[in-house]
Amino acid sequence: MRMAYVVLTRLVGVAILVQFYFAAVGAFDRPQEDDSYSLHSINGMVVIPVLVLLATATAALLRAPGKLIGLTVAPLGLVVVQVLIIVLGNAVSGGADGDTTPAGLAILALHAVNGLVTMAVAGMAARRARELSKRPTAEVAPA
Amino acid sequence: MNASQLAAVDLVVAFLATAAWIGAAVMLGTGRLLLARALCALAVTVSLGRVATTVALAAEGWWFAQEKVTLTLPLLLAGGVTAAVLAGPRVFGGARPAAGRAVAGLLTAGYAAAAGLVFPLLIGYPATWSAALLTVTLVGAATLITWRAAGLAGTGGVARAGTALVALAAVVGAGLAFVPGDTVDSGGVPSRLAASRARPVSALRGPTEPAGGGTVRRYELTARQATVTLASGRTVAAWTYNGQVPGPALTATEGDLIEVTLRNQDIDRGVTLHWHGYDVPNAEDGAPGVTQDAVLPGQEHVYRFLANQVGTYWYHTHQVSDRGVRLGLYGTLVVAPRGAASTGLDLAIPVHTFAGEVAFGTHDRADVRETRPGTSVRLRLINTDSTPRRFTLAGTPYRLVAVDGNDLNRPGELSRTGLRLPAGGRYDLAFTMPDGPVALLAGDDLMTGLRLSPDGSAPAVENTANWPELELTRYGSPASGEFGPDSRFDRHFTMVLDRGVRLSGGPKYAHTINGRAYPATPTQIVRADDLVRVTVVNRGFETHPWHLHGHRVLVLTKDGRAPAGSPLLLDTFDVRPGEVWEVGFRATNPGLWMNHCHNLSHADLGMALHLTYEGVSSSFHDGHS
Repeated sequence: MRMAYVVLTRLVGVAILVQFYFAAVGAFDRPQEDDSYSLHSINGMVVIPVLVLLATATAALLRAPGKLIGLTVAPLGLVVVQVLIIVLGNAVSGGADGDTTPAGLAILALHAVNGLVTMAVAGMAARRARELSKRPTAEVAPA
Repeated sequence: MNASQLAAVDLVVAFLATAAWIGAAVMLGTGRLLLARALCALAVTVSLGRVATTVALAAEGWWFAQEKVTLTLPLLLAGGVTAAVLAGPRVFGGARPAAGRAVAGLLTAGYAAAAGLVFPLLIGYPATWSAALLTVTLVGAATLITWRAAGLAGTGGVARAGTALVALAAVVGAGLAFVPGDTVDSGGVPSRLAASRARPVSALRGPTEPAGGGTVRRYELTARQATVTLASGRTVAAWTYNGQVPGPALTATEGDLIEVTLRNQDIDRGVTLHWHGYDVPNAEDGAPGVTQDAVLPGQEHVYRFLANQVGTYWYHTHQVSDRGVRLGLYGTLVVAPRGAASTGLDLAIPVHTFAGEVAFGTHDRADVRETRPGTSVRLRLINTDSTPRRFTLAGTPYRLVAVDGNDLNRPGELSRTGLRLPAGGRYDLAFTMPDGPVALLAGDDLMTGLRLSPDGSAPAVENTANWPELELTRYGSPASGEFGPDSRFDRHFTMVLDRGVRLSGGPKYAHTINGRAYPATPTQIVRADDLVRVTVVNRGFETHPWHLHGHRVLVLTKDGRAPAGSPLLLDTFDVRPGEVWEVGFRATNPGLWMNHCHNLSHADLGMALHLTYEGVSSSFHDGHS
């Protein structure tokens, strides 16, 4: 179980790394289409959340400390913020089709910053998960 | 605030509620009671705020609030009550029950609040039984795990009952997901598809003779890849008809027979010709897999139809249409009235984006034309892109005389006004050339567009960015027609447009109609001569230019109000975020028709369905619209 937890938190990290790659695929795809970001959409809205949920459930079953469970699930909250940034930025710009307004763009560009934060948090969770797995078994009550 | 902005506010409030409940749990768990208390108060306040946003959304239309009323608010209420019971005494009272118990209660409310944030983004309209039960499963499972971790679940019967309930919700929800949805939508009237005696689409061909007084207009279009050179000298790798972009300008006079032979030289995925806005006989419509098979390299297909609609139209491929049209497979079709010789300057201007740069025809820099004052000018603007485009005409008052090829009734004089042209739509602008220069701009961009000047020199152009946008439903004068908003309609279809992750046909973040994505969308059925009403609701955050093939629709209401100006007969209407449009049409063109969003990438991602007449069947299969 502890091994599964470590592997899942690492997979979350890998999925986020791949997410950056898919973002670049979208950015460099020509001609630029809605489709350009389809890999990014699906990885971000399905793969990463599912991995985070699995990792979190594993952490909870392991009776990991509350702080670590929170750290494990945090990337999911940040992914939701990613989507919210897009929705809000477009709403402020007056729709996703028109030109962006400076205010809308200011919000939209936070997508990149929050992406890095998500990666950092996931990395921290993976490191803590590994530390936990190295502790003597007695300290962690297996489920 | 319109429904779309309300929906965005609701998401922000849902986010705050989630963050506040979970934050309160974290503060309590780490022993910061005062902060926990403040966050609890905030959580309760913003949770109540969600009731307010939901009520406001419901007032805009049930569609905007459906999943909130039936699913996410009841969940939030249940979570809030749980938090109050488990955490209330610990946070606000003097009571000292175990902190773990209180933290678990607050987290439960947090999970419930998160459903209100995630569901509309990930699933969208509507909350079906399956989606609702699976959501309850997720929130319930998270709650059970939390309680177990907090040592709350060891209390025998309650835990077992909770686990059983969550498992039941999971099984039923997952099972319901595999129940196939309706394959047809008959618009509120019992209907049946008489498959045995059905007329095949291929029998619904156009005539072979022109109408009295008309001639046959023969065109040959060969689709092939080519490198085209724009006016600035920039070259673009394109998919073309006859090696040029736009394709050959097709013209005819009312009553002529248009006969176009389409050949495909080297477009591997195939091509067709769709006559956008032209109500041609079904088999001439050019919808691959629906009215014909795509024309593959080496093949050819002949289209014939009567030029019986005067005005500005365009043609484009409907096979892999998003990519094909973007790369250049389109051209103009203009039909002149019989007996009225055109005088003056009459320009059809397809405006297109080539790899990020806007071009009027092939002019990617300002196109200057010498025009004598007093010349009667008609500019036919065609938006061949997938997103709306703003136009401004500076230097002269003018009239918007026709929309989508159809004349408006008594259009008034316009000046210093922005015109927003939907994707696929057309505007005809008419004016008499003044003594000074005139500029037509797209997107207020001073570097591109059309300039008419008396002496042929490039004029200075003023900034038009602040000009207000014309509200089309209040332009021109009302006139009575065959039917209106108060007529008795034989059928009524409702299409609620949204986004959500869909797994059928490969996982994608789909554009959905009533929760379904093509090809899982049900076919709408009408009977010949029915008067049909269609309600289109945009619950998403992107504009959807709606386009029904084979029929022009009359705008009945926009956001509940009937047009106060000229009757609007359109083939493409922009349903912007949060808007509700009602349109009507008489079913007088039997066949099997595409009914889809003309942002072609949205259609690619599922926003399309078929509309069929009773007694018509298709025998084509391998298209990819």
